[in-house]
Amino acid sequence: MASKHKLLAPSGTTRLLMGNEAIARGAIEAGVGFVAGYPGTPSTEIIETLATVAKDLGIHVEWSTNEKVALEAVYGAQLTGVRSMATMKHVGLNVAADPFMTLAYTGVIGGTVVVSADDPNMWSSQNEQDNRYFGLKAYVPVFEPSEPGEAKELVKLAFQFSEEVGHPVLFRSTTRISHVRGPVVFGETPKNITNKGVFKKHPERFTVIPAHARKLRGELIERWETIKEKIPKLEPFNRIENPGHKTAILASGLAYAYTKESLRMLGIENKVTLVKIATPVPVPEEQILQAAENAEKILIVEELEPVVEMQVKNLLYNVDKTIEIHGKDYVPLIGELTLNKVLNGVARIVDLKFSVPSKRFSNTTIKLPPRPPAMCPGCPHRGTFYSLRRAVNKARVKPVYSGDIGCYSLGVLPPFREQDTIIEMGGSIGLANGFAHTLEKQVPIAIIGDSTFFHSGVTGLINAVYNSAPQLIIVLDNRVTAMTGEQPNPGTGINAVGDPAPLIKIEDIAKAVGVEYVDVFDPFEIKDGTDAMYKALKYVLENKKPALVIAKRACALEIDRVAKRKGVETPMYQVISEKCTACGVCYNAFTCPAIMVEEDGKAVIDESLCTGCGVCAEVCPFDAIVKTRDGDPEWYELWNI
Amino acid sequence: MGKPERLNILVVGVGGQGLITMSNTLARAALLDGTKALVAETHGLSQRGGSVEVHVRLGDVYAPLIPEGGADVIVALELIEAARAANNLKNNGTIVANDRIIRPAVPNVEVPEREELLEYLKQFTKTIYLVDAYDIASKVGSTLSQNMVVLGTLMGTGLLEGFVSIKAVEKIISTLRRAELNLEAFRRGLTDFQRI
Ligand SMILES: Cc1ncc(C[n+]2csc(CCOP(=O)(O)OP(=O)(O)O)c2C)c(N)n1
Repeated sequence: MASKHKLLAPSGTTRLLMGNEAIARGAIEAGVGFVAGYPGTPSTEIIETLATVAKDLGIHVEWSTNEKVALEAVYGAQLTGVRSMATMKHVGLNVAADPFMTLAYTGVIGGTVVVSADDPNMWSSQNEQDNRYFGLKAYVPVFEPSEPGEAKELVKLAFQFSEEVGHPVLFRSTTRISHVRGPVVFGETPKNITNKGVFKKHPERFTVIPAHARKLRGELIERWETIKEKIPKLEPFNRIENPGHKTAILASGLAYAYTKESLRMLGIENKVTLVKIATPVPVPEEQILQAAENAEKILIVEELEPVVEMQVKNLLYNVDKTIEIHGKDYVPLIGELTLNKVLNGVARIVDLKFSVPSKRFSNTTIKLPPRPPAMCPGCPHRGTFYSLRRAVNKARVKPVYSGDIGCYSLGVLPPFREQDTIIEMGGSIGLANGFAHTLEKQVPIAIIGDSTFFHSGVTGLINAVYNSAPQLIIVLDNRVTAMTGEQPNPGTGINAVGDPAPLIKIEDIAKAVGVEYVDVFDPFEIKDGTDAMYKALKYVLENKKPALVIAKRACALEIDRVAKRKGVETPMYQVISEKCTACGVCYNAFTCPAIMVEEDGKAVIDESLCTGCGVCAEVCPFDAIVKTRDGDPEWYELWNI
Repeated sequence: MGKPERLNILVVGVGGQGLITMSNTLARAALLDGTKALVAETHGLSQRGGSVEVHVRLGDVYAPLIPEGGADVIVALELIEAARAANNLKNNGTIVANDRIIRPAVPNVEVPEREELLEYLKQFTKTIYLVDAYDIASKVGSTLSQNMVVLGTLMGTGLLEGFVSIKAVEKIISTLRRAELNLEAFRRGLTDFQRI
């Protein structure tokens, strides 16, 4: 409820908003009528926020099965004249690249914004690709804000701009915009939003058969020229500060915030010309040429790739301007920006001696234990990995664990080490489709989550059946998209806005596409789980066909939260000290974070962390862990959603 | 010496300890008092029991991240994490820490002693405040409000004077869930700490 009021506060209100909430508010102020996306850090909260107000405002908000599907849905919606937005993390745009490229050819009817949240430094991602390149590649303008407050304004502008030129806008956020909270001033919201429209047939434009596409390509390049002319007019988002100095700094998006603060810290704010860039693609040529007129030196500050740098060098060459330009040689290519990095670059361009702060050294050192993220107490994945190891040992096979992306990626860490490859979403079954045909003495075991299965596992599974690729596929079905914060998916039974939705069962899909061996087990039952996976492995070895087993248990984080909110009592477990032999199975081999170690090596359960799953009682070889209180009947029901 | 232009507060702890709620409460209170505030969090993977860092910047700030070695205050909800972050403290900076150690869920992990950790921290500053937030929060009614106890201690040190007032923080806490309990935890934190 609180979040609802937060986003719908009246015009003029100032609120501390997360960048993603600001983007959501900007879309509302722009009158967006259709929003689709797929979760992915750091983009997720845009749709999560919009979902809480969607019904009140009449906006269609959905979690699609993947980014390509989301962008296609947005494609269709905007063709009816409805302002539409797709959201995804940076690698999501790889998945959606096909419709994205064509979107530029056909152009748009309703204002269309594609939000890509990039992740410099790879805080929660497998790469730090700079999606501004997608703009250059597709001829789509890229808008990039410098802080949450500006993000809201810029999203609004993006919709207007898109509709005005009939072209999509790529809105590029990053972790330090999306996940930063700052003051945001609310603007007016439209009285009525358009959420229904009419599709006007125009096959020469909307059917990209080669004959049409060739013509569209010419129109695209023409439109790009118009866009380049309009871009410098987007003031104050693109602007020049203190023109006329010998040193000019061009800073794009978030880099502006770092540059501005660096200039203030160095006390040279009035001695340098600063060009603030909110459109790294295409760059605002007018402001850049104006700054270059008097400048002897230019520094370009941008995060990750030299996207602005390349364009500026190209531009100045074309106008015959020879000038000293620095960019990636002064501000590093790799990793996210920090004040230290930008201070360094700025001090260097103005030849200022300045001792940039750095981490301090200490006389003595201390050995600090690492604290990697761990599967939560009660996480069903832990039971699955524990049982899988036992099943593999029992079957005496050499496994290749073809892993995937989700909470279960944590299975790569000790003590489990049951992820040998993790490449991209859906890659588990995908790579196993190759392993299956080329491995001789090892057996591929594909490990995939439910959301990932719906996202891009299904096509790989069909391929495994069609091309007869023997592999054991384990689907860890915790009934939600957990890694990104428990969003519902097609197997959950509810949709993004909380309405009941058809529940699609993975076992039904597997059977329907021709997997002959399908089984379901409860990962809280170690013995059953071990048996189920052992039998399936045997089947794969003997029949040379794929087998699919599903470990089905709801995400503990979700259940624990609901239980706490409803005041449902959970079961309680305790270690009987006299029986505990300090063997360490529960804390070293099973590694539940709720199990602590006493000085004598005996285990003790931290009640504030324990979720009452009881699996530790099953793994304890000495029956030293016992249930001391049973949970409410409702608690057991919660797990069976 | 006048009031500094900006204050960099590095909040550290373990995922699930309520660092983000605590940081947002502080920043919202700052806004009430007319102070600009930025809060940068790194979540995703780090939610799950891993080390978590939140950057809270108050005053004349543009950049979301505190520069390396540029923290005026380190607020730690756990001592190992305090030690991990300590080399980011400015000379003469301040550490406000929950007097608690949480064992990482890593097989065969060696956990340093409390005394060892405190000795290490003392190399970086003479100003260290400790609060037994776990104990206080349990007595108040829920260990989940440890974060509010530590927030109380941060405010109790007087370091934030001119940036955020105790009154504003209390006003924001009273809008949170379980407001009574959290307010009580906050108020206990204001005074029930020691300087070592
Ligand atoms: C193309 C792409 N989109 C989104 C993400 C972000 N992401 C990482 S894991 C994940 C989903 C995991 O859900 P699930 O497979 O159900 O596993 P769980 O985390 O619930 O165990 C998502 C959406 C990504 N890494 N790549």
